[in-house]
Amino acid sequence: MTATLERRIRWSGLLIVVGLLLQILTLPLTHPLAFVGFALLGCPLVAAGMLFFLYSLVSHDTP
Amino acid sequence: MNNTPLLLILFAAIAAALALLTALRPELTRVRGGKILAFMALCILPTLAMWAGVNEHLERSTSTKFCLSCHVMADFGKSLYVDDKSYIPAVHFQNHFVPTDHACFTCHTDYTLFGDYKAKWRGVHHVLVEYLGTIPKPEEIKLYTAYNNRECLHCHAGMRKYEEASSHHKNPEMLAKAATNQLSCISGGCHDTVHDVANLKDATFWTPKGNGK
Repeated sequence: MTATLERRIRWSGLLIVVGLLLQILTLPLTHPLAFVGFALLGCPLVAAGMLFFLYSLVSHDTP
Repeated sequence: MNNTPLLLILFAAIAAALALLTALRPELTRVRGGKILAFMALCILPTLAMWAGVNEHLERSTSTKFCLSCHVMADFGKSLYVDDKSYIPAVHFQNHFVPTDHACFTCHTDYTLFGDYKAKWRGVHHVLVEYLGTIPKPEEIKLYTAYNNRECLHCHAGMRKYEEASSHHKNPEMLAKAATNQLSCISGGCHDTVHDVANLKDATFWTPKGNGK
């Protein structure tokens, strides 16, 4: 079970990293594409990673 | 670039680094300290980074530079410099009746509870058209709905110059009708020259002398 939890934490961490990197790329730019990239790619990836992390916590059975 | 994005980038980079550490070393979560780190790195910090980023992007998307960054909007930007007092946007922009760095948004947001968000949603649609659709000619671009006096009165209501102008008392009900949007400031025939991008080639333009934003 711990291995499953750790695998899920790894995936949620990676999703968050990719989302945050996309956000970092868009932050210096004042352009509609940067806004759309941030709102439609960066934010959903970060949110998905966070939700997956929380799901992995609540679905984990402690021995 | 001002300092705000730099701070946000730094904060997001720290959040990303901690999330990466947790992703590469998930076994850290077997101890109490690691659990706290994982919760901070995978929940609290990304939430804060996202919230700060949303605020920054929303604020930036209200800037004149942002609106005019699409090629099709160039003529609308140019119309702000027309040297003719009958051009309503030009007279507002050139005299700083609206903040010049947020000129488009000041007049083209709805001053309602969700007006800003409606404007943003429409903006996302515009981006999709810009890159995936058929871009209309500038003169073919129209408002979604007739311009509501509410947007004018957001600033003009209660203004002495507005209330005492003789042209606003041509008939006794004029101001009351304008206040309830029964008589349009623009399509009512009084202030009907707006951007008029179709006729820009015949217009003369004002050039700001120094200190212009």
